[in-house]
Amino acid sequence: MNAVVFNSVTKRFCHRPALFNWLGRERGGATVALRRVSLQVPTGEALVLLGPNGSGKTTTLKLISTMLIPDEGAVTVCGADTSHEGGTVRRKVGFAVANERSFFPRLTARENLDFFAVLEDVSKEERAARVEEKLSLTGLADAADTLVMKFSSGMYQRLGVARALLKNPEILLLDEPTRSLDPGSAMRFWPFVRQLLSGGTTVVLTTHSFQEAAAVGDRIAVLRGGELRSEREFRRGAGDLQRGDAQSSELPTNGPSIDEVKALYFQASADSEDNPAFETAP
Amino acid sequence: MRRVSLTDKLAAIVRRDVLTTIRYRNGFLLSAVGVLAEVVAFRYLARAIGPAFRPEGVDYFAFLVVGSGFYTFLITSVQAFLSTVQDAQQTGTLEVLLTTATPAPVLIFLSAFSAFAGKLLNLAVFLAVGLLLFRVPLLHPNLAGVGLIFVLSLAGALAMGVFAAALQIAVQRGSVVIWLLGSVWFLTGTLFPVGALPLPLRWVAWWIPVTHSLTGMRGALLLGKSTPELASEILWLSGAAVLLVPTSLAFFSWVLRRGRREGTLSAY
Repeated sequence: MNAVVFNSVTKRFCHRPALFNWLGRERGGATVALRRVSLQVPTGEALVLLGPNGSGKTTTLKLISTMLIPDEGAVTVCGADTSHEGGTVRRKVGFAVANERSFFPRLTARENLDFFAVLEDVSKEERAARVEEKLSLTGLADAADTLVMKFSSGMYQRLGVARALLKNPEILLLDEPTRSLDPGSAMRFWPFVRQLLSGGTTVVLTTHSFQEAAAVGDRIAVLRGGELRSEREFRRGAGDLQRGDAQSSELPTNGPSIDEVKALYFQASADSEDNPAFETAP
Repeated sequence: MRRVSLTDKLAAIVRRDVLTTIRYRNGFLLSAVGVLAEVVAFRYLARAIGPAFRPEGVDYFAFLVVGSGFYTFLITSVQAFLSTVQDAQQTGTLEVLLTTATPAPVLIFLSAFSAFAGKLLNLAVFLAVGLLLFRVPLLHPNLAGVGLIFVLSLAGALAMGVFAAALQIAVQRGSVVIWLLGSVWFLTGTLFPVGALPLPLRWVAWWIPVTHSLTGMRGALLLGKSTPELASEILWLSGAAVLLVPTSLAFFSWVLRRGRREGTLSAY
């Protein structure tokens, strides 16, 4: 059973330039963020999306979450079409967005989570315990009553994960979840994700870290210029110590190696380095 | 799964807004001082004009307090709600809110309601200071009529707020609604009676909901008019509410779908 299915999905962003565009140099027209992308994520597995900036990774997550709807093709989540059954999809999907500021700055972490828990239909009886649980899980219990405007980037990021987990989602979307975390927290985060997977949660995660992709992914897809360039499934053995062991900070031994992930990434990119960033002079 | 009731959701939104407001400590105090200063200014304006001027048969100071207080309440509430939406766009909260299990039209309507509830406190202080402290005589106010006119006016203004939010998401210029509402203030009978306007402008004034809100509110509160005597205002405001509330929500839903298609939910 697939938790998420992309069926030849195209997403364009149209931009109309300013009325008096001769005053500036704004470019109009359409940007194709995703072009005929098809992929499946089986229930309980982790798909890691890799790709350079602007390759369509976040757009993919936004399409699953119903923040966006496709222009062509269809996205289905647990059998529900995101274009027509958005309400059903939203009950199943938790999204930890990359935007760190997406909280109410003059509320505390606990107040923010409590507010979102109400909107996520977490019942009154369960709410306080659920909020407490997610604060502890993300290591924010001590900062629970601090206004989030005083949070560091890493704390915001952890709070974002806590918010996404509030509804105990069937599908968890993580947009560069360890971008602002210290290395120690990042390494503890990966087994935490594997633990969620062992509980049956499906995870779709974007990252720029090969190490993270190797630690978390059951399958890895590489996007470039809105196209799915390569996708590979990595079978993890039953003896994967990372599953169910959130305390471990070791890298998994029986997932893909970092070299395998790098090879997949660069193989997908090799034929089209259009505007490589930070290229050194020969 | 057991759902959370609308009342609980409204309570959560009101709590969020109250906490945010009181934590802007200086802003909260300054706005209270502003309310008091306005009432005092009206008192001296009415005194300067003299007791002979009795628009619609009421004391001019009372006319100003009810007219300006209620008009300001309606406009600033729409503005407060629009600010909430703008802030949510800028921080990226809007996109997240719209992916929660609470349907977007419900969320937006409850948020608008909360913004109005916040400004209700300002109105209460304004009226209390104006009518009680400066001892404006009330001739057996028709409290049921006051309530009815208030609720119907609120429904119309909520719809305006939802229109403003929709325009903000669609073209990032929800302030157009505020500008429109603000630019017609002189037609609504806020500071002087509509009867002082030339006939064509009186006709325009008739089409503005706030005009009927102010006439009805003054009639019920200051003149003690009975509910049948307020029938024309009640009917007009009911018709506007029946038309505007569903239209604004339908428009908002359409804009939201368009925003999801074009990826402009967080554009500002």
